[in-house]
Amino acid sequence: MAEIGTEATPRARRRAAAVNEGGNPGGGWRDHLGSLAFLAPGAIFLLAITVYPLAATARNSFYDATASNYVGLANYKEIFSTSSILVTFRNNVIWVIVFPFLVTFIGLVYGVLSERIRWSTAFKTIIFMPIVFSATASALVWRTIFDLDPHIGIVNATIQTASDWINPPGLYPVDPSAGQSVAGLVATGVSAGPKDSLESSSTVTAGNPVELGLIGISPATLQLVGAQTAVVPTASPGAVTGLVWRDFSPSNPTARGQVLPDELGFPGLKLTLLRSDGTSAGTAVSDAHGDFSFGSVGSGSYKVQIDSSNFSSGFTGIFWLGTQSLTPTSSLNQTAQALLSVPLVDISMILAYLWIWAGFAMVVIGAGLASLDREVLEAARLDGAGEWQTFRRMTMPMLAPVLIVVIVTMLINVLKIFDIILNMAPGSSQGDANTLALAMYNFGFTGGLGNWGLASALAVILFILVIPAIVLNLRRIRG
Amino acid sequence: MSVVSPATKPGSPATKPVNLERRSLLSAIRPSRAILNIVLVVSAVFWLVPTIGLAIISLRPESLFQQSGWWTALTAPSQLTLSNYQTLFAQGLVARGVLDSLITSLEITVPATLLVTIISSLTAYSLVFGRWPGRSVVFLVIVGLLVVPIQVALIPVVQEYRVFGDLSGFNPFGTIPGVVIFHVAFGLPFGIFLMYNFYSGIPKEMLEAGRIDGAGEWQLFRRVALPLGLPAAASLMIFQFIWVWNDLLVALIFLGNNKHATLTIFLFEQTRTLAANYWIISTGAMISIFIPLIVFFSFQRYFVRGVLAGAVK
Amino acid sequence: MASVTFDHVVKRYTSDLTVVKDFNVEVADKEFMVLVGPSGCGKSTALRMLAGLESISEGQIRIGDRVINNIAAKDRDIAMVFQSYALYPHMSVYDNMAFPLQMQHMKKAEIDKRVKSASSSLGLGNFLDRKPRALSGGQRQRVALGRAIVRNPQVFLLDEPLSNLDAKLRAQTRIELQKLHRDLGTTFIYVTHDQVEAMTMGDRIAIMNAGILQQVGTPGDIYDHPANIFVAGFVGTPTMNFVAATVQDGVATASGFHVKLPKALPAAKGILGFRPEAVTDRIPDPDSAMEMKVDVVERLGSDQFLYGKVGGDSVTARVDPRIKVEPGDSIKLGLDTRTLHFFDSETELALL
Repeated sequence: MAEIGTEATPRARRRAAAVNEGGNPGGGWRDHLGSLAFLAPGAIFLLAITVYPLAATARNSFYDATASNYVGLANYKEIFSTSSILVTFRNNVIWVIVFPFLVTFIGLVYGVLSERIRWSTAFKTIIFMPIVFSATASALVWRTIFDLDPHIGIVNATIQTASDWINPPGLYPVDPSAGQSVAGLVATGVSAGPKDSLESSSTVTAGNPVELGLIGISPATLQLVGAQTAVVPTASPGAVTGLVWRDFSPSNPTARGQVLPDELGFPGLKLTLLRSDGTSAGTAVSDAHGDFSFGSVGSGSYKVQIDSSNFSSGFTGIFWLGTQSLTPTSSLNQTAQALLSVPLVDISMILAYLWIWAGFAMVVIGAGLASLDREVLEAARLDGAGEWQTFRRMTMPMLAPVLIVVIVTMLINVLKIFDIILNMAPGSSQGDANTLALAMYNFGFTGGLGNWGLASALAVILFILVIPAIVLNLRRIRG
Repeated sequence: MSVVSPATKPGSPATKPVNLERRSLLSAIRPSRAILNIVLVVSAVFWLVPTIGLAIISLRPESLFQQSGWWTALTAPSQLTLSNYQTLFAQGLVARGVLDSLITSLEITVPATLLVTIISSLTAYSLVFGRWPGRSVVFLVIVGLLVVPIQVALIPVVQEYRVFGDLSGFNPFGTIPGVVIFHVAFGLPFGIFLMYNFYSGIPKEMLEAGRIDGAGEWQLFRRVALPLGLPAAASLMIFQFIWVWNDLLVALIFLGNNKHATLTIFLFEQTRTLAANYWIISTGAMISIFIPLIVFFSFQRYFVRGVLAGAVK
Repeated sequence: MASVTFDHVVKRYTSDLTVVKDFNVEVADKEFMVLVGPSGCGKSTALRMLAGLESISEGQIRIGDRVINNIAAKDRDIAMVFQSYALYPHMSVYDNMAFPLQMQHMKKAEIDKRVKSASSSLGLGNFLDRKPRALSGGQRQRVALGRAIVRNPQVFLLDEPLSNLDAKLRAQTRIELQKLHRDLGTTFIYVTHDQVEAMTMGDRIAIMNAGILQQVGTPGDIYDHPANIFVAGFVGTPTMNFVAATVQDGVATASGFHVKLPKALPAAKGILGFRPEAVTDRIPDPDSAMEMKVDVVERLGSDQFLYGKVGGDSVTARVDPRIKVEPGDSIKLGLDTRTLHFFDSETELALL
C-alpha cells in the first residue's frame, strides 16, 4: 500500500505535477472536473447567447440587410448621413445628459432629507415602489397623466384650474387653435373691435335700442346658459338699451338682420359702453333675452363693446407628448434642427422615467449614507465644521463613490432606453423621440424582413458606447 | 425595509454632546421640521399620483373616462366599480387576452427565474470555491458582460435559433423556451456577480471543514454553499423575476407570431391598435403590476439587498 | 498506527515564493505535537497540507504507512478544528456534529449515538437544537471539537483553536484539551503562535520560522537547550537576554561584566544568552557580578522583573519581589552560570 504513492512512475509524477500547478490537493483531476461541471451550464449559455452573438453582430454590421453580402462600412455611413437616424443620437445625448444627474440629485436630496423624518420608512417605500412598474405600464400611466385633454390628463387639468382662477374663460369660448375666431361671429350691426372684442358698427345714443346680431354659437350652447327668445327692448330715455341675439332663424335661414320669434338672445354677455374717446361710460350684462341697458348716460354718441372676456377660451391644454422644441431652432437648417432641438416629449418621458428610478437612487445613496463612518463626521464637528461644511467637506467626498455608481448605472440604463419611448411617445412623436435601441428594434424587426445590417451597426454603436462603463466596472472590481 | 433605514446606533456614550446626533450630522441644511415634512409630503403625494390615478381609472366605468378626470372619483367614490375587471376576466383564456397573457408571462418568468438562480449559484460556486486556473479571468469577463446591451445579441440569436431548428427540428424562435433561453443568458452575468460576491463572503474554512468532514463537491454545494447562499439567492430571484416580468423587447422579438403574448405585449398592442381604450389599458396595467407589487411588499428586504448588491446593471 | 511523517515536504506557490522548506517531522502515534512559530512561518500551511487543503509541492506526507499526497481530504480520515471553528451556521449543533458522519453514510442510529455521547461529554447536551450563532464562544469551540471527535479520526488537527477565546477560558480549555487527548488516545497535531500553549500542552514541540523547521523536542529540551538564537528568543517570557560577548580562555566578556563559561570554547566573538531567571539578587560568584542601572520595574506579585542597562547592553533580571527597587537605582546582580548559552554570531547556532 505504501508503494502506491512512493512509486514515482512518470505518469504518476506528471499527474501529481499537473495537480500541483492548479493548487489542487490530493483529490486528483476529478476535483477539477467537478468544478468545471459546475461551470458548464453557465458557460454554455453565456458563450452561445452573449459572447458569440456579440462577435456575430459585429460581423453582421458589415453586411447587407439580409446579413449575406459584405457591404463594408455602408451601414455606418448610412447611419451618420440619415437625419432621421441622427435624431436618435440627439435623443440619447439628451437622456444621458439630463437623466442620470437629475435622478442622482433627487435621490441624494430624498436620501438626506428622509433621514430626518419620523415616517422615513413610509416615505422611502412610496418613492421606491414604482421600481416594480414595467417601463411599459409606467409609460401608459404617464401617457394618461400628460394627456392633452384636461378631462383626462391631470397635468393639463391642474394648469387649467390654476389658469381659470387667474383668467376665467368666457361664456362663449372661441378657441383659435380649433380654427375659430371672434371676428367669425359677426352677423348684424357689429364689427371686430380691438383685442378679440366686438363693437357696434355704428354709434348709438340714448333712447334708441341697438340690435347686435351674432352667429356661430349653437342654440345648445345658448340654452345651456339659459337663453330665451330674443326680444327687442323698449326704448328708455336717458339710457342706452339694446340686445345681442343669435341672428339665425332655423325656419327662415336667409332672413338676416331681423329679430325673429325663433331666435335666441345671448345671456350673460359682459358689455361696455364706450365714449368716442374710447373711455368707458358704464358696463352692463345682458339678460336671458339678450337685452341690456346702460342707465342715465346722458346725451352723446357711444359705441357698445362686447368684451373680449366673453370669448376667452381659457387654457386648453399643452401637448406634453408633442415634438415642439424647447430650444429655438427655427432659424437653422433642417439637419441642425434635427440635431439641436429638444422635443418636449423627451422631457415628459424623462419625468416618467424619473418616477421609476428616483427610489433606486435614493435607496443606494441612503445605504451609502448609512455606511459612512460616524466617527469621521463627529471628528469634523469637533474640529469646528458646521452642518453644511460637514456635509460638503466630509459627507459628499465620502459619498462620491456611491454617487458615481448611481450615475454610471443610470447612464447605462438610459443608453439602452427603449420601452418607455415605444409606449409613451404617441405615433406622431415617435420619430422625434426615437433612440438608438428603438431604432435598432425598428430596423431589425419591424416592417417586413427588416434591415439586419443596419440594425447590427446600431447595436455595435450601442456596445461601443457602453465600453467605458465596462472598463469602469472592471477597474472597480479589481481595485 | 430595515436595510433602507439605518438605525441610530444604540448605546452611545452618555458623555457625547447632544448636538452630535446622527440626524444633524447627515443633513446639509436645518430647515424647520414643518417645512421639511411639507416638502416630503408633497413629494410623496407626487409619487403616489400615477399609481392612484391608474388604479382609479381602472375602477371607473369606461363611459366616464372622457367626461371627467379620474380625480373626481376622490370626492365621488360611487363612481368606482369592478366592471372593467369583470369584463376582462369574463373573456376567459382567449388568446392574447389579459388572462392568457398573465399565464404566458408566468410561463416565461418562473422558469427563467429558477434557471438563472440555479445556474448562477453553480457558476459562482465554481468560481469562488473551485481551484481551476483562470477563474479570475472568467470572473472579469462576466463582470464585463454585466452591462452589454441585449441589442447586440438579438439578431444573431434569431439566426442561431434558426440553425438549431434546422439541425434538431425544433426552432425555439416564436416559442416560450426561445424567450426563456434568452432571458437566462442575459440574467446570468448579474446573477453570477451577485452570488459570487455573496459566496466570497463565506469563510473558506467553512468549505474546508466540509471537505475534511468528507463531503464531495456536489455535497458541499448542496449542503453548505446553497443553504448559506439562500439570502442572496432570494434577492436574485426577486430581481430576476421583476426584470423578466417587465420585459417587453425580448418577448416582442422572440415570441414572434406566437398566438400567446406576455402582459407587456398585451399592453403595447392595446396602445397601438386601440389608442382610446384607456380602460383596457389601465385595467391591464393594474393586473400586470399586481404580482410585482405583492413581491415588492412581501420581500422588500431582499429586494433592497439585491438592488444594493447589483447597482451595476 | 497513526503516526504522521513529513518527509522533505516543500510548499511553493511561485518559483520565488516558498512558504515551507524541506520540512521533516515524525509525529508518533498518540503523540500531542505542537507546531509553533510566529505568524507566516509556514506552520498552518504544513498543517493544511496534511489536511489536504493545500497541495504538496515536493516530498511526501504519510499517515502510518499510507502516502497521502494524492488522497482527497475527505478520504484521509483526519479531523480538524479551525481557528474560526467553521461551524455551519445554517445547521443546528446536532446537525453540525452529524454532518461528517452523514457524509460517511453512517446509519442514523449510530450517528445519533455518537453525537449524543460526544455532546454530553463536552457538556453540549442541552444545546443540540441551537444554531451556532446562539452559542457563546466557548460553546462554539466545543461544538467544533465535537464535530471532530464524533468521527473518531486517526489524526486530530487543531489550527489555533484557542485564539478566539478570552484569557480565562483559554487557560481552562488548554487543560480540557490535554485531558481530551489522553481520553481519545489519538494523534494530535496542534498549531499555535503562542509559545505558552506550546510549552504547556505539547508532548513535543516543533518550532518553525520563515518556512524552516528550527528544532523539534520536548518542552523542557527546547527551553533548556535551544538550538539557535531564534528558538532561544521565541521560548520563554520575558525573553532571553542576548549580549554581544568575546570568549577568551574560557571567559566571556560583555560590555558590563564577564563570566566564566562552564565549558571550554575556542576563542571567538559571539552572542551570550541567559534567561532573566539566571540574573538574580543572589550573587553566587562575585567574579561574574554585574551592576544594573534600572529603567523599568515590573512587579507581578510572585516575581519582580527589572529592565535596565548593564554596561551598554539591555538586560532583564528576575529578582526577589520583596526587594525595593525604583527606576534610576543601580543594583548589583549575580549570574547563574549553569544556564548560560553561547551562540555563533554568524550561523546563530548554539555553541553551548
